[in-house]
Amino acid sequence: MDKDTIICRCEELSFEEIEEVICLGAESFDDIKRITRCGMGPCQAKICADLVSKMIHEQTGKIYEEIPMPRMRMPVSPISIETLSTNSQHFSTVKSVLDEVELEDGKVR
Amino acid sequence: METDVLIIGAGPAGLAAAFEAGSRGLDVVMIDESSRLGGQLSQQTQMVSMLPSQYPPMKGFELAKLLINQLHDFPVKILLNHPFIGLYQDGSIGVSDGKNVFPISAKKVIVTTGAAERAIPFLKWTMPGVMTIGAAQTLVNRDFVVPGKKAVIFGSSDFALDVAIQLKQVGVEIEGIIEESTKLTAQNMDKINLIKQASIPIYLNSFIKEVGGNGQVEEVYVQQDQEVKTFHADLVCVDGGRKPITEVFYQLDCSFSYQEKLGGWIPQYNERLQSSQEGVYLGGNAAGISFHGSILLTGIIAGISVCEDLGVLEADEANSLRDSLFKEIKIIESKQDDHLWLERMTHIENFLHPKLKNQFIS
Repeated sequence: MDKDTIICRCEELSFEEIEEVICLGAESFDDIKRITRCGMGPCQAKICADLVSKMIHEQTGKIYEEIPMPRMRMPVSPISIETLSTNSQHFSTVKSVLDEVELEDGKVR
Repeated sequence: METDVLIIGAGPAGLAAAFEAGSRGLDVVMIDESSRLGGQLSQQTQMVSMLPSQYPPMKGFELAKLLINQLHDFPVKILLNHPFIGLYQDGSIGVSDGKNVFPISAKKVIVTTGAAERAIPFLKWTMPGVMTIGAAQTLVNRDFVVPGKKAVIFGSSDFALDVAIQLKQVGVEIEGIIEESTKLTAQNMDKINLIKQASIPIYLNSFIKEVGGNGQVEEVYVQQDQEVKTFHADLVCVDGGRKPITEVFYQLDCSFSYQEKLGGWIPQYNERLQSSQEGVYLGGNAAGISFHGSILLTGIIAGISVCEDLGVLEADEANSLRDSLFKEIKIIESKQDDHLWLERMTHIENFLHPKLKNQFIS
């Protein structure tokens, strides 16, 4: 594939940019995401996840079932913060990125 | 909101599951992020192949109508334009109506989120005019928009040929069907003959190298053998196959395994179509990419298992229903592709040995 081919269209990352991160030792989609922002645009990796897995497979020889899926956090599609934050007085907040944060007992998570 | 059964996704599998649960007296709530019922069926004007034996041959949108109509007499509450947002700590499901996010607590959840199309990257594939083959069909049949004047189609599955014919019918000239392998991947001879009758040129051993144009596709460069052929076209439809939509399962902490033939990473399920989360069931393409018949049958099985677990269906009856439905899936899948059925069985056998689980604890 041509080096200039776009892989992540939301964040405009090229084949070459992702290839470089794989050469540095990235083994999963999330590794690449942490370094390049790949998959962090509006589609939330729905389009590029496959293409990146294929690149990892082709460049490292790893079989597909050893290349984990990208982490899919809520919300799975874009939604305004205003919408998301409603009702938060009445219900515990939706399982979110915050479930990786330790909070004090009894506080709404 | 409280209900017996919450169905996420109102496509064929979801509608079939809703009928099973609703017709046995359970309260059903069905949510879908789109504005109409039927999922992808509503824009399928081609005949749908390999339906279960109780259905006569029909077109996709006719099947959608049939599945929707059979719900009329039952307590099925339908919430369109309501996307799934996430999972609350108390186990209820967060759903948005566009203004608010509210929880739906359901005794059982059936997830029938279907499949998404895969992209095929080449130089400048993000240029306006390049779209998936399914997007082209949606534009023509749902939105009544002709997506271009001259099209090049990349891929040659049965579905790609269907859409090529549909595009031709609305006046789009098909400049060529480009296929990377040495023969068409479509299996249906009738469709292949239709393409030949319509004198649509087929280019085997070829692939799209690049598209060019000023702000939108004007030329398509196709590599064939050692030479590059230039097509003048303003539409490129790529057919990269499909994969199950897994985000909802991931959010619900279901475990996954990888099965190539079923579309890659798919949620684990047992022969009851129950996922690794006790209250979560699944069906349709989300349970592995397959034919319309299996999509309906897996949805029905999920519905039956939910009915059994909520006590409105006897275990014996549920078991015998499931047996006969699985036999039908076997007939449908092994007739088309032996490996598909075998991989489905392997996947079910691997239920207790997932490759990916507890993904939120890391």
